[in-house]
Amino acid sequence: MTVSSARKLVRFLGSPRLAMGLLLLLGAWTTAASFVPQNAASADAVLAWRAANPSLLRIVDTLGLHDAFASVPYVALGVFLALCTALCAWRRTGVARRRARRLRDATAGGESAAAASPDLEISLGPNLNQERALEIAADTLRHLGVPTTRRGEVLISVSPWWSVWGTAVFHWALVAVIVTLAVAGLVRAEGQMGVAVGQVRPDQPESYGQLTTGPWYRWDSAERFIRVDGFNIDYQVGGVSRGPTPTVSVLDSDGDVIASRLVYPNHILRQGALSIYPVDYGLSAAIAMLDGTGAEIQRTVQLVDFDGTTPDGTSPISEVGLYGPNGQVLNRLILSVPLDSVDEGFLGRLPETPRARFVILNPDGSLALDEVIEPGQRVQLPAGGELELLGVDYYARLQLVDDPSVPLLYASGVIALVGLGIATLARQMILTVKVEPEGGHARLAVHMRLWRIYSTSRSEIEDRLRRALGAVEGSA
Amino acid sequence: MEIIMTWVTLFLYAGATALSAIGVVFGKDKLIDRTVMIAGVGLAAQTASLGFRWVRVGHGPYLGFYEVSAALVLFVVATFVFVAWRQPRLASAGIGVMPVALLLLGGAMLAQSAEVPMTGKLTSFWLAIHVIFANLAFGAFVISFGLAIVYIVRERSGSGKWAQRFEKLPAQDALENLTVSYVLVGFFFWGVMIVTGAIWANEAWGRYWGWDPVETWSLIVWIIYAVYLHLHYTLRWHGQRLAWVAILAMPLSLFTLVGIPAVFNTTHAGIGGLGKDL
Repeated sequence: MTVSSARKLVRFLGSPRLAMGLLLLLGAWTTAASFVPQNAASADAVLAWRAANPSLLRIVDTLGLHDAFASVPYVALGVFLALCTALCAWRRTGVARRRARRLRDATAGGESAAAASPDLEISLGPNLNQERALEIAADTLRHLGVPTTRRGEVLISVSPWWSVWGTAVFHWALVAVIVTLAVAGLVRAEGQMGVAVGQVRPDQPESYGQLTTGPWYRWDSAERFIRVDGFNIDYQVGGVSRGPTPTVSVLDSDGDVIASRLVYPNHILRQGALSIYPVDYGLSAAIAMLDGTGAEIQRTVQLVDFDGTTPDGTSPISEVGLYGPNGQVLNRLILSVPLDSVDEGFLGRLPETPRARFVILNPDGSLALDEVIEPGQRVQLPAGGELELLGVDYYARLQLVDDPSVPLLYASGVIALVGLGIATLARQMILTVKVEPEGGHARLAVHMRLWRIYSTSRSEIEDRLRRALGAVEGSA
Repeated sequence: MEIIMTWVTLFLYAGATALSAIGVVFGKDKLIDRTVMIAGVGLAAQTASLGFRWVRVGHGPYLGFYEVSAALVLFVVATFVFVAWRQPRLASAGIGVMPVALLLLGGAMLAQSAEVPMTGKLTSFWLAIHVIFANLAFGAFVISFGLAIVYIVRERSGSGKWAQRFEKLPAQDALENLTVSYVLVGFFFWGVMIVTGAIWANEAWGRYWGWDPVETWSLIVWIIYAVYLHLHYTLRWHGQRLAWVAILAMPLSLFTLVGIPAVFNTTHAGIGGLGKDL
């Protein structure tokens, strides 16, 4: 790429019209997408919407609106907008540096500015002396929301040097937000893990039910385990129910607890960049597999979800395969926990008498056994051996997000707001007023650099000063 | 008492709206000044009404359509009274501001005013911060809306009778500066609302952004006002066409704050409407 074509590209990307077009496209795309459920938010809502709006599917699928905010057009818009914003921030930085220098110069030597380059000159009547003219000018400007200070023979109003940095800081921080969001998608891992009370699960991919991992995320960076120590079905704080609340611990590789707390909305567990939130809950059944002599071969925990469509009110997250010595599937176990029923359904909590239903199927799908047992009881397996129900308890479905970019994102957001706050609230201006002799009369010389002022305007200042000072005809 | 004070508020806001219109149409400056006074008394009555409700239901006015709308009205009128008190020459902008407050309060009173209980997800200090900045932003947007309406009316009148009726207002370019300034203030507060909402969402729901309809529309409104500011600062738009952008943008912010939960299924169901999962 030649230097001139590079310059053309930079000029194109830095064009205000391109920025405007991108903002409008982003707004239009976002608006269109807001009317369509997103896969990222709820896959069920997407299915329901598609069933209800078959005539719109073609256009929605063509545009990829169900994944609107991860789609190629949206990402491309974001990339272009980031480039435009960076160039805009660069340009604003230059402007801010120049203006800050002028503000510092004006603060240091404001007395000479009005006389050197007046923007407005008002010839004063013979009955107005210098003192009175400056008093009237100061009063008029104050009423227009421009307070001045008197420095010798000059009225001066100069904004502080930092007032001009607001927009530059805001735009750089916006670039940082966009870049951080992009990097976050590469370095974060997010997923859901079901953990029964008393169970310990390694923080590794195989423990997760749903998992999204960025390509730069490293599982070997920290070896840790997640344990649920307890579960309160209706935890109350300050008279407000916090809902089903597990106590969650994070353990290190030695089994030592490194973080632990009750986890409910607005009260999450953090360990480093890892955050743990409660998403849902269900029940769990711990079972032991015994051989023909009654010796325990293996233990497992089966998680079951509440399911109003089944006779027991629960259904397992997955079936358990029972294998023979050669690895062949002998039977399949479908385990559920019969719930206590109420008038029109089931109670979504641990039953008064915890029990589990063992449904064992043969490899051909035929029923081999269907039995409900209590903890401590066993069922006989068709191929020999037994299964013992060790206990029934709750399980917590936890959302684990390991995202080191969050603090950076928050910091960028806060810096953006500080910059925007400065741009919003701080005036950016230099105004000096001086009275100078002119023949037999005197003239008021006003120097104005009003980069950003909201309470008034240049024309209003000119108009009000002329009226207040009874300007003599012919003033410039 | 709460109901009485609410009706008193409605009548006072209606009076302020009528006085503002009569004052501007017939060029009666005294009536315009009275508008601010009556709006101020109405503001006190509404503060008392919401205060009684706060004590009764045990939480601030930020849950359910009635409370959210009433709080928006409170902030709109408070912003107007503050602006008119600090700069009396802007009092005639009430002709654009007070009707919005009156209609929104009337709509809120017609809607169901049932109490929405606090839930675990809502019990956070972020809720108050998030909602206060939403209200502040809306107050600033409505003021910019009122100023833009006055700007257009005066601009179209040229030096005619409407120009004389708005004589006390600042010059047109100063009025435009003020409109831009309130858009900028609203843009800033809206940004704070989005950021505090994102932080709170991360604490409550485990994600800082989930493309919930209210989140999405908050971003849309922010983009629209960003377009407005870029039109002014970088493309040097001035005059009526810029004022029209401010006028058209404000209803979108209102729709985002109180309309979305009635149209979409949203996690912001605390605002009111058809949503669930408080």
